[in-house]
Amino acid sequence: MGVELTSNLDSGNKTGNNKTESKKILEMRGITKIFPGVIANDGVDLEVNVGEIHGLLGENGAGKTTLMSILYGLYRPDGGEIIFDREKVEFHSPGDAIRAGIGMVHQHFMLVSKMTALNNILLGYRTPKDPLMDYEWARKRIEKLSKTYGIEVDFDEQIINMSVGEQQRVEILKALFRDVKLLILDEPTSVLTPIETERLFKALRRMSEEGLTVIFITHKLREALEVTDRITVLRRGKNVGTLITKDTNERDLARLMVGREVEMIIEKKRKESKEGKAVLRIEAVHARNDRGLPALKGINLIVKQGEILGLAGVSGNGQKELEEVIVGTRKIEKGRLIFNGEDITDYGVARRVALGISCIPEDRIETGMAPSLTVEENLILRDYVKFTKNGFMDFEVIEKHAEKLIDEFGIRTPSPKVAARTLSGGNIQRLIIARELSRNPLLLVASQPTRGLDVAGIEYVRKRLISFAEEGKAVLLISEDLEEIMQLSDRIVVIYEGEIRGVFEREEADLEKIGILMSGGALEN
Amino acid sequence: MQIRIEKRLETPKIVYIIIPVASILASLLFVGVLLLAIGVNPLEAYGVMLSRAFGTKFGFTELFVKTAPIILTGLAVSIPLRAGLWNIGAEGQLYMGAFAASFVALYFSPPVIVLPLMVLFGLLAGMAWASIPGFLKAKFDLNEIISTLLLNYVAIYWVEYLVYGPMRGKEVYNFPYSDLFNDYAILPRFFGTRFHVGVIISFLIAIAIYILITKTSYGFAVKIVGSNPKAAEFAGISRKKIIISTMLIGGAIAGFAGMMEVSGLHLRLRAAVSPGYGYTGIPVALLARGNPLFVMVAAFLFGLLYVGGSAMQTTFGIPVAIVDVFQALVVLFIIGGDFFTRYSISFGDKGEKYEGEKG
Repeated sequence: MGVELTSNLDSGNKTGNNKTESKKILEMRGITKIFPGVIANDGVDLEVNVGEIHGLLGENGAGKTTLMSILYGLYRPDGGEIIFDREKVEFHSPGDAIRAGIGMVHQHFMLVSKMTALNNILLGYRTPKDPLMDYEWARKRIEKLSKTYGIEVDFDEQIINMSVGEQQRVEILKALFRDVKLLILDEPTSVLTPIETERLFKALRRMSEEGLTVIFITHKLREALEVTDRITVLRRGKNVGTLITKDTNERDLARLMVGREVEMIIEKKRKESKEGKAVLRIEAVHARNDRGLPALKGINLIVKQGEILGLAGVSGNGQKELEEVIVGTRKIEKGRLIFNGEDITDYGVARRVALGISCIPEDRIETGMAPSLTVEENLILRDYVKFTKNGFMDFEVIEKHAEKLIDEFGIRTPSPKVAARTLSGGNIQRLIIARELSRNPLLLVASQPTRGLDVAGIEYVRKRLISFAEEGKAVLLISEDLEEIMQLSDRIVVIYEGEIRGVFEREEADLEKIGILMSGGALEN
Repeated sequence: MQIRIEKRLETPKIVYIIIPVASILASLLFVGVLLLAIGVNPLEAYGVMLSRAFGTKFGFTELFVKTAPIILTGLAVSIPLRAGLWNIGAEGQLYMGAFAASFVALYFSPPVIVLPLMVLFGLLAGMAWASIPGFLKAKFDLNEIISTLLLNYVAIYWVEYLVYGPMRGKEVYNFPYSDLFNDYAILPRFFGTRFHVGVIISFLIAIAIYILITKTSYGFAVKIVGSNPKAAEFAGISRKKIIISTMLIGGAIAGFAGMMEVSGLHLRLRAAVSPGYGYTGIPVALLARGNPLFVMVAAFLFGLLYVGGSAMQTTFGIPVAIVDVFQALVVLFIIGGDFFTRYSISFGDKGEKYEGEKG
């Protein structure tokens, strides 16, 4: 197979970012990957230039991660070829890819939590004094990298004590330490706060200036537009276009990604009256986190009928514990929970479910579903008792129930009888929403309900939440996405270190004030 | 040609059939090599095994007699396994059941109530023994593999102590036996063989457990706990209750196996009530993937080994320990075979080969 090489590509003298003479560092041609029943990649071409930040955009299940996993040696393609750094390559493992100069930071970090950052970075690396560890040499090298790219990390801190953003920086340094020429970042911002995201982008731009190439996988349009030089859009396993970032816009990208016009902004209509019966009343609730430290310190909240109450805050400030306290999986140390006038403080999970409390948990896969059980079984996970006759499961009703929900909520699955683990992230989310809403609850606790979803998925979930509230039900929306909170909520509260720091009606809320409160600051006046 | 190993998205059903069958075949092959090494033609040896089990009326009924307790211990392992627990303690639970039933048989009256009481006490003793690791697991998250395993030795030595000491019979010379049970403490037998009513009950228990764990809401809750304990909690299922209850059910069934062995087969309490049926339950449960219907099938295979094992001993002088070797191999192959449920392997060169540098 002929390899076209630009003749002006001289021996690897890297001279910064030369975007006028776009030299290709990577060419993937006709990459095809077939999984049983799914064509994940269908003859995808991808060209990436030296020193650019290349966005890889697409909905969940569009094949972005598959394509990059092939490049990184995790999967073998069923067809096509890869030319990296002017050589035709075939990677059998990530080790091959790393040796060739490709690094990847996954969505889920691959770090050893009880080791320091330094040791994590060195893991599996041979320092010059091998078999002895040359910490001094390594530390110097990492410090230099850290300075060059502006990626700051406390090298002697254990991973377990780090914020997610810091962990990600360790992952990036780990890749850079191995002299990669191309760094793949898989949805790096999905776990970051706005401030951390900004920091990451700065670092990416530094890398680009230094001649490093970055592939940035995302489904967030705004980020792709903000940080990339060019964007390739994948839809259903196909490359539907590579665009120069400065010549495109959100609307066009969304249309390319989804294949139709998308409503970019969905806002909830204002509730007519500010009065409403309190559905959930949280009174001075205290609770501890998994490590036994105080996580909720006297939370007071009221969620009213017909409203969406937005809880804004940087993750790790007690949101998860609050979710679990309401669901009933975490013990309340002090305080009371009143649901619909009834004191439910001491009720178990099942009883609360029966009363009408639903929840889209933050940890969808960890707590929201049983992966080896089928779709139809997962759809009755939390009210399976209702689907029994004299203690026996009523399989006929269960199947009908599943078929109805699959249809109504558009869950894409080959059949109700496949294991739920085989569904894509977006479809798992739909499954959970279907289950939680179908039982007709009075209160929905929605924790990061659109995290990890694509444009169409976000549109769908937001519409669902709004129509649910408009039926006169109550929603507690816990989200790190401030824009989402601003668009959907009737009232907004800010949580910081287990305390409520501010309550706003939507009209009086502004991003800046909320941002300050979220990061622990106080409002002047 | 190249070998390609890839993560599976979904495991085809057929893999779940191929793995146990292949594991058994591979184990037979390995054991065959061992037999060759000690100078026995494996085909002949396996032939003797089969002809003993299927060739005579005695052998055939003996096959059922040996299968029955393995079904029960297979169930005793399977039920907790469905909740994600490893009950390695079926052996000890069986011994405690045997002890309790023997105690009733030797010291209780009137005769009419002895047999029902033996069943009851056998069940309760097995449950009590299994409740210890169950409780420790639920309350303190103590590893159940270790606690169940260690309790086996306690139970086995307890029974040994009894038959060497306080419960040793008056007419057994120096053997570690209790006295023979009275007739009213013995399970009825049929066909003039050792085929006793417990065999039939064992099959009925397997079917009942099948219904319990696949058709009822309790079984569904167990399955959720086994799949994802956090999701179970989120669904309002008490993980602790499921841990303890599955251990109790498992223990009760193993306890019944102990009662059945003393009352149906040995007719007395003795040392070595079981030749390791409790441990045999582990490969059986693994082969059956915790499904009670398949437990019956897998138990048959091991019943055949036990019957055939003694035949091989008498014919070729092969130690019965060969059965243990076989069991261990099956477990290893099954665990190794699990790899194939998660990864697929294909041969051939679909992808193009690395062609070296170009330029």
